[in-house]
Amino acid sequence: METLLAILTVFTQPQLLMLVGVGTFAGIYIGAIPGLSVTMAVSILISFTFSWEVLPAISLMVGIYMGGVYGGSRTAILLNIPGAPSAIATAMDGYPMAQKGAAGEAIGVTTVMSFFGGLIGILVLALAAPFVSEFALTFQPRDYMLLAVLGILLVGSLSSGSLVKGIFAGAFGIAIGAVGRDPLTFAERFTFDFKIMEGGISFIAVMIGMFGVSEALQQLQNVNMKSVRQKIDRIVPSFGTIRKYLPLSLQTSSIGVIIGALPGTGGDIAALMAYDHAKRVTKEPDVPFGEGAMEGLVAPETANNAAVGGAFIPMMTLGIPGDAVTAIMIGALFIHGLNPGPMLMIDQPDMFWFIVGALLTANVFMLIFGLTGIRIFTKIVEMPRSIIIPLILLLSIVGAYAVNNSITDVYWMLGFGVFGYFMRHYGYPLGPVILGVILSRLLDDNWRRAIISEREDLGRFFEGIVTSPLSLVLFVSVIMIFVSQTPLWTAMKNRLFGRATT
Amino acid sequence: MSRKLMGAVVALGLSATVATAQDYPAKEIQGIIQWGAGGSTDTVMRSVTPHAEDALGGTVVMQNMTGAVGAIALNYVVDAEADGYTLLMGAENPMLYKIMGLGDEDYSAFTPINLLARGTPLLVANVDAPFDDYAGMLAYIAENPGELKMGATGPGGLPSVITAMMNTVEGELDVIAVPYDGDGPALTALQGGAIDVMPAVLGAAIEGVRAGNMKPLLVFDTEPNATLPDVQIATDANANYATYLPWGPFFGVFVKNGTPDDVVEALTAAYATAAENEEFVSLMDGRGFTMMNISGDEATEFLTKWQQGTAWLLDDAGLTQASPEEFGIARPGE
Repeated sequence: METLLAILTVFTQPQLLMLVGVGTFAGIYIGAIPGLSVTMAVSILISFTFSWEVLPAISLMVGIYMGGVYGGSRTAILLNIPGAPSAIATAMDGYPMAQKGAAGEAIGVTTVMSFFGGLIGILVLALAAPFVSEFALTFQPRDYMLLAVLGILLVGSLSSGSLVKGIFAGAFGIAIGAVGRDPLTFAERFTFDFKIMEGGISFIAVMIGMFGVSEALQQLQNVNMKSVRQKIDRIVPSFGTIRKYLPLSLQTSSIGVIIGALPGTGGDIAALMAYDHAKRVTKEPDVPFGEGAMEGLVAPETANNAAVGGAFIPMMTLGIPGDAVTAIMIGALFIHGLNPGPMLMIDQPDMFWFIVGALLTANVFMLIFGLTGIRIFTKIVEMPRSIIIPLILLLSIVGAYAVNNSITDVYWMLGFGVFGYFMRHYGYPLGPVILGVILSRLLDDNWRRAIISEREDLGRFFEGIVTSPLSLVLFVSVIMIFVSQTPLWTAMKNRLFGRATT
Repeated sequence: MSRKLMGAVVALGLSATVATAQDYPAKEIQGIIQWGAGGSTDTVMRSVTPHAEDALGGTVVMQNMTGAVGAIALNYVVDAEADGYTLLMGAENPMLYKIMGLGDEDYSAFTPINLLARGTPLLVANVDAPFDDYAGMLAYIAENPGELKMGATGPGGLPSVITAMMNTVEGELDVIAVPYDGDGPALTALQGGAIDVMPAVLGAAIEGVRAGNMKPLLVFDTEPNATLPDVQIATDANANYATYLPWGPFFGVFVKNGTPDDVVEALTAAYATAAENEEFVSLMDGRGFTMMNISGDEATEFLTKWQQGTAWLLDDAGLTQASPEEFGIARPGE
């Protein structure tokens, strides 16, 4: 019981409370700027907080992490540029809402749902961390591969319009992700002997270009059009709205926690999978997906914030990072003289409960800061296009440069921006490109690991799938989702069920 | 706080300002870390540098520049001015760039400021593996050829060198090498049972061993390790390991050749003081690293010996793209 009181440490020391608050506030804005990532902010903080005590340092980092994951949604909704990869799905329905004058409502719902998702993630961390981490460890390379295949099938729900064009875009994304030295063998792939290609193409640069620059180019076409007036009367969603989306948000939060807890997958994949899930289970949305469906905001935003709590699960129980940010935090704990590992929770349970407490506090701060100041933010969308277009371009360039401090990334970003513009023009969806880049490594590396482990024998590979319950479930899901997307299935359904009902 | 953070962000971006250097350091020094945030190299550099800053009376802004096994960072520092305002904070990897076909430069283009510490390789196994020691593993491999899954991190990484060493000393071992992105992900996979054994740096595996989540089989050193005194050492298992040991990855701070002597002296003094800092030493002990804190000729000698031994070991194992001979790397003892 005494250790449980550590959860309240944050409140007993005003300094810690303030640091969590400051961190969350800064995190929201760092998260909102494309290119400035939470990972970067936390790694800068390591040197910055070096001489501090461990608790204040962790408080600040936890705040930044929580705020940053949420902040990515801001620019996604207002400008159609996801501030972070985990907000890509948010842009798909959030931006159309802003275009209809409902930016305030979109941010309001996003904030409340991020809070809700964050809460679920923290609760799972607090109550079931050992079980979840044990489950996450059972994922073998073949399971990660199947998970990636499951992700690739999202192409269907991310492409409005032609599926063929969506598949092309997805495949293109996978190819972009494969450029550079292969991390497993160091062989060069698609580098054409150019030195700058060796390091691969920065995925953030592709994302910023495809969404930001191509959006700016698109808007140039109607630069004189009046911008949409924003309604700002309904910011905090009504209780009825929240209750309506409660079942969905519980499901998508669960997706977020699990994907977040898996080492090797994080909030970006969680958000996209949740979006796909929402699209699948919502039979009759009030507004179609892609045109401003509320479900399209609820799903990714609950999932990516739930993934925060999820990422801490393997970190706290095993010393294994759940994502890039927790990897840096493990480094920070080392520097502060703690030894994060399986013994941390046994030797120093106070630390675990302190982090849970700090996360809870950051989550509340996120709700407060998120719901205030929306009025000022929505003004961004009301600005004349002649101001907003240069602003988008400026943000994109600064963001792309900031990722690696490399001007090459800016060129990539601009190139993909122009290319993305033409893709839009010819009806190719951009979402699947990013999906492909995100999943490329996961799919490629794990397929190779899986098949190498089985001595490159396909028979043994499938035997492994059939004999492992987890792999079998994933494999069957892949088949089911794949079949349900083909015309064959619709035809069969009509023949089987159609006749019975008529 | 956020203003300071913004300051740091801006400083990262605008590091190349014009300087009229009277005394060194007259402006911020840029520290380029070869590996990602949170990794071993990152942790070591971020722990030692603040102490060096105190001794130097300047600021070192550290930045992670990853990619191509650290070659991107190395090339960046090679292209910078040799004025002591750009430091390379790296690990052992560049010593193998030439023979692995990863680049045209290695540490011979640099002056070592300080080789801080070296790691000890440790062979660990999954808790459920059907053997408890090194001899048991060899017997298992002999009975079940091509079944044991051994973690790897790509050619030139620690596991590839240790595996080459084992193959040279014990004769070809028929195992499956499953490649991972680094020792972190591979050790995670080991605990999940995706691989059976893994050669890793002691510091990365120690917490898992302490918690009983993995079994230590063999310490690749000539003397028992203080952190794991009961684990068998390689030279006891097979005396032929003595040819290659002690061997291990190391961490060092470097400047480009041609940097003014007084600048090199100032930096060397600062890092030598920092490496003696109690906090830093206890951190390194806790992670199972062996402190070296060497510079000047001693460091150069260490680098030469390290490169000769490792390069020829990998070349004999057929893992290299080009023979060490082409780059004038002599066989050890020649």
